Amino acid sequence: MPETDKHSIEKTVYELSSTGRSTNLMPECDVPETELPVDLLREDLHLSELSELDVVRHFIHLSQRNFSVDGGFYPLGSCTMKYNPKVNEVCARLEGFAQSHPLQRDDTVQGNLALMFELQEWLKEIGGFAAVSLQPTAGAQGELTALLMMRAYFRDRGETGRTQILIPDSAHGTNPASTTMAGFEALEIPSDEHGNLDLAALRTVCDVSVAGLMITNPNTLGLFERDIETIVQCVHDCGGLVYGDGANMNALAGVVRPGDLGIDIMHYNLHKTFGTPHGGGGPGSGPLGVSEKLADYLPGPMVRQTNNTEKLQFSFSLFTPEKTIGRMNSHFGSFGVFVRAYAYILQHGAEGLKQNALHAVLNANYLRELLRSVYPLSHDRICMHEFVLQGKIEGSSVRAVDISKRLLDYDFHPPTTYFPLIVSEALMIEPTETENKQTLDAFAEALKVIAREATDNPEILHTAPHTMPVGRLDEVRAARQLKLRGD
Amino acid sequence: MKRIGFLINPIAGMGGRVGLKGTDGVVDEARKLGAQPVAPQRAAEAMRTLSRMLANAEPELKLMPIRWLTCSGSMGEDILRSSGFAKNDIEIVYTPSGESTAEDTRLAVQRFLGHDIALILFCGGDGTARDICSIVGLKVPILGIPSGVKMYSGVFGTSPARTAEIACNFLRGGLTTVQAEVLDLNEARYREGEWIVQLFHTVLTPDEPMHVQSAKALIEDASDAEVKNAIAEFLLELFQRDEIELVLLGPGSTVNSVGNRWGIKKTLLGIDAVVQGKLVGCDLNERQILNLLAEFKTRKLVLSPIGAQGFVLGRGNLQLSPDVIRAIGSQNIMVIATPAKLARTPVLRFDTGDAALDSELAGDGYIRVITGYRRRRLVKTML
Repeated sequence: MPETDKHSIEKTVYELSSTGRSTNLMPECDVPETELPVDLLREDLHLSELSELDVVRHFIHLSQRNFSVDGGFYPLGSCTMKYNPKVNEVCARLEGFAQSHPLQRDDTVQGNLALMFELQEWLKEIGGFAAVSLQPTAGAQGELTALLMMRAYFRDRGETGRTQILIPDSAHGTNPASTTMAGFEALEIPSDEHGNLDLAALRTVCDVSVAGLMITNPNTLGLFERDIETIVQCVHDCGGLVYGDGANMNALAGVVRPGDLGIDIMHYNLHKTFGTPHGGGGPGSGPLGVSEKLADYLPGPMVRQTNNTEKLQFSFSLFTPEKTIGRMNSHFGSFGVFVRAYAYILQHGAEGLKQNALHAVLNANYLRELLRSVYPLSHDRICMHEFVLQGKIEGSSVRAVDISKRLLDYDFHPPTTYFPLIVSEALMIEPTETENKQTLDAFAEALKVIAREATDNPEILHTAPHTMPVGRLDEVRAARQLKLRGD
Repeated sequence: MKRIGFLINPIAGMGGRVGLKGTDGVVDEARKLGAQPVAPQRAAEAMRTLSRMLANAEPELKLMPIRWLTCSGSMGEDILRSSGFAKNDIEIVYTPSGESTAEDTRLAVQRFLGHDIALILFCGGDGTARDICSIVGLKVPILGIPSGVKMYSGVFGTSPARTAEIACNFLRGGLTTVQAEVLDLNEARYREGEWIVQLFHTVLTPDEPMHVQSAKALIEDASDAEVKNAIAEFLLELFQRDEIELVLLGPGSTVNSVGNRWGIKKTLLGIDAVVQGKLVGCDLNERQILNLLAEFKTRKLVLSPIGAQGFVLGRGNLQLSPDVIRAIGSQNIMVIATPAKLARTPVLRFDTGDAALDSELAGDGYIRVITGYRRRRLVKTML
């Protein structure tokens, strides 16, 4: 098999290494040479020896083995793997943005600050919030920031007995993790039979020990929390705050403003909703929008506009809110992501964002209709931007994981598998608005073929994938017996 | 080569059909009343399903050599043969002298243990589970095809087909083992109208690990032991914060793990008392508990529900009488459970024998259960 075949296994740089081979691009040393401290010296560095061409080919091969949105359909539920327009990349690479330094004086980076200011303003408008800080660099960091702000808010009010954060059992796993990190206790609230938060259960726990509720709307089942206003009211009535997990904002942007529903604080995932590349650990961006009463606690620096009416000029400067919880970052957050999101919002405009949300919901419901007779649905009702199927076929021994692995053989990325935890054999599908009807039809067809295979030839599913560089991995063993070294 | 011990209690379940609430020691009476054997059909259903699943499985599992160690005739051999398992794969390691009894079950298990088995698959009820556990302890996991009159223990599949599915996944290597409680109703007392379920043993049984995608969800695939450690850590933090003088630890493996984490050698099935980190009483009875409660002002009682059944009180902890619970105070009861246990225990129940107290304990239809470090879950209660 040729080395460039994407179905073969790429060797590691150590296996490709050849003694004496190098890329001599180091310039002449132009400073006096000094000895390294003896305790830092080693006999052997275990570095691979490769030419520049070896290195380029190695990483090109690896990139070719990557599944990407640019290469195929990627319906990974709750991740909003939409197409990231290339114009965003062009903008992010503009020299003024790409070459600026975070420690430059404000008056030399007015364009960058103007972009951050406008992005803050737009996010205030989109979410219905009084203020926005761009500091958090990921959704989960946005959650943590929000919880730290809630703690500071209640401390200021002398309400230190508020230790509980209520979290629906359908929530992203990061919610309870952030809660514990911020020093609160997580109390999980069950879902009702319709997939919504169980209001009766919520009512039994709303008291003065509650600091707040973290809620994702639409929730991770892809369902709109129908009672959101009652839920918010319940929590507000007992003095708590409501945090919105903005991970699923792609279903709402331009249609509903969470601030108008009474949400006090919410993080955005710029990298999901506003079309910037993500996956593989970042960079992400999780700006926080808040209501008036929390604005003073936001992390800085934030950007403000100062008008000089005499000179008919305005300028942008950094400031930190009065009661801030402090920085969440050494500098400004993920600036490159801001530029991409800014370009995306500018490109689409208010009407475009609304259309995107509507199409995302339409695409999900179209797929859901195509598949509902083939796989059981977790909840048989109109969904928002995603929906959850159960990877079960009556009379067959196949499981969700078999179906997901088999999809790889049909050149589709698998849906999110075994999440949310409250649905057995969950397959969570989020097509996004950027996919066309032909792609959705092809995906549904592949899942139908797989359903037939599950009955006629289950073995082909149990052993899938068959076209990847490696076949079925023992994931339980991989998780329990970590081996992180290549040797 | 995987070796599996397989045995059937041929008379299990016979009593139920004729209203005898169990079959222990009353087989003849059951027969006189017209009872027909139940277990053989249930076992056959499970084993036919398993045999079909193995035949259709992926090559690795399909070709896995499996050796069935069993008993002659109706105690295992007949069903294995009629369910499609090859004669060469079946080895008779025990032959009962006459009609099979509880003693035969125990002797057969003794023989199984001499053969490095991976699992004991049995067909019966709580009585059979008890007999097996008395020999096997925590040495080998056990899994029950449900066929008894009573099945309070957490080792049974929900149906014969589902049991086959669990066995198949276990052989595939996709399941872990967890500790489960083996309970049994005191049949003699039950036939006299008293409902007394006792906790007899804890055993290992195959369990579905909670698979989750790593990208978005917190990995809840933490091992049973890690979760229990986290619960123990949180309890300790709470007790120190609230300056709790007396801690009463209830029965069962979850609470036992908490004791272990604190460096206390707790009795597995009894109620133990801890004061300032030291064990001050083991396997306490009602009177002893009341005496301790009179001595200490701040107190907590730690309990864990019985898996699947969901009983927090009234099964396996009868020392905790209504008087004791009132003396402790319902607000001082802390219920703990791993998320895995709660996944198969949707509803919690209280049955102290005092309806007013049960209603108080059940709260407004939900109670808070500690499931990890600074994590609680609101769980439905039912009276």
